[in-house]
Amino acid sequence: MSSQSLLLLTILSEAVLEDILIEEIMALGAKGYTISEARGRGTHGVRTGKWTAGGNIRIEVIGDAELCSSIVQRLQAKYERDYGLLMFTCPVELQN
Amino acid sequence: MNFEPVVLFFVLGVVAGLLRSDLKIPGSIYEALSIFILLAIGLKGGVELAKHPVGDLVFDGLIIVLVGAIIPLVAFPVLRFIGRMSRADSASIAAHYGSVSVVTFSVGITLLGHEMLEFEGYLIVFLVLLEIPALVIGVILARHGEGTVRWGKLMHEVFFGKSIYLLAGGLVIGFVAGAEGIKPLDKLFFDLFKGVLALFLLEMGLVASTRIAALREYGVFLAGFAVVMPMFSATLGIVTGWMLGFSVGGTFLLATLFASASYIAAPAAMRIAVPEANPALSIGASLGMTFPFNIFLGIPIYLWMAKTIHAI
Repeated sequence: MSSQSLLLLTILSEAVLEDILIEEIMALGAKGYTISEARGRGTHGVRTGKWTAGGNIRIEVIGDAELCSSIVQRLQAKYERDYGLLMFTCPVELQN
Repeated sequence: MNFEPVVLFFVLGVVAGLLRSDLKIPGSIYEALSIFILLAIGLKGGVELAKHPVGDLVFDGLIIVLVGAIIPLVAFPVLRFIGRMSRADSASIAAHYGSVSVVTFSVGITLLGHEMLEFEGYLIVFLVLLEIPALVIGVILARHGEGTVRWGKLMHEVFFGKSIYLLAGGLVIGFVAGAEGIKPLDKLFFDLFKGVLALFLLEMGLVASTRIAALREYGVFLAGFAVVMPMFSATLGIVTGWMLGFSVGGTFLLATLFASASYIAAPAAMRIAVPEANPALSIGASLGMTFPFNIFLGIPIYLWMAKTIHAI
């Protein structure tokens, strides 16, 4: 079995940013992404997800370290100041 | 007392939220309810619009949009200089108050039904028109020539966001189909309207209960603004409707429209266009304070105002 070592970048942010973030991520060269709806609490208060404007999203992107760091830098520079934004990576072994 | 029992569902939601009941309306149901309400209101307006020569409405529409634009232009300096709020927050809140709430308008329509009062059905066209200028004015006020605005993205959000899109789409379908053509859909969209509105208000109550606490943090000024501003806007609406020769019902609905503050379209548009504004302030004021004020006290007061001015 051959597996490839990559990073899984998880981005938690506001649902209202969905289109904008996807545009950025794809422009930086990501091959794809997965989005799920999320809710929780952070420094921007409780995000209940109870109505459209108040929800969060979780965007997951798998890529090499270079791609992940370029996405992180871009999003940090443009959105961190004004929006709820949390990003983290963890190593993954891609199986197919 | 002009009382519309459907607003009690809002109370039911607020109480459930405050008492931490496990009541929760799933997001997809909420979405479906809002799609229903927007389409139903659009269709209703379209059917009424088909009965009138459209050319006659251009003048009324122009006046209403121009008077409507006064609302954010008055709200902004009040927030900025009396409330001492930041430029971005003042502009964002002003845009919320200049924009309109479909649900508040719907509660107004059900009250008219309750009171057996007629209204100019084509007023629903203005519901669509009034949504747009306030958002644009809000962004211009926030930017004041500084920074870049993603106008393309913002306009896309405004015109193709579900509220305007479905309202306008419903209007067109209702207009094309006319009263006869829409008959087969009557049972779903018109007969069930009040029941769906009740469920929607239940959800609004749940959401509002989480906002009322947030509003407390921002003090007396904003709470006062959230009550005084709709009264001022409603007065503008009463005078405008009366001068345009609307019926009592029409004058009342225009006042309700002016008095209402957006909490669906405006928050999404402002979050993108004016990101540095704190959304908790604008949504707290419009949903936590102005919406309940309007449906419980405002709407009966505006109806009384409309009746009084027509009695003169």
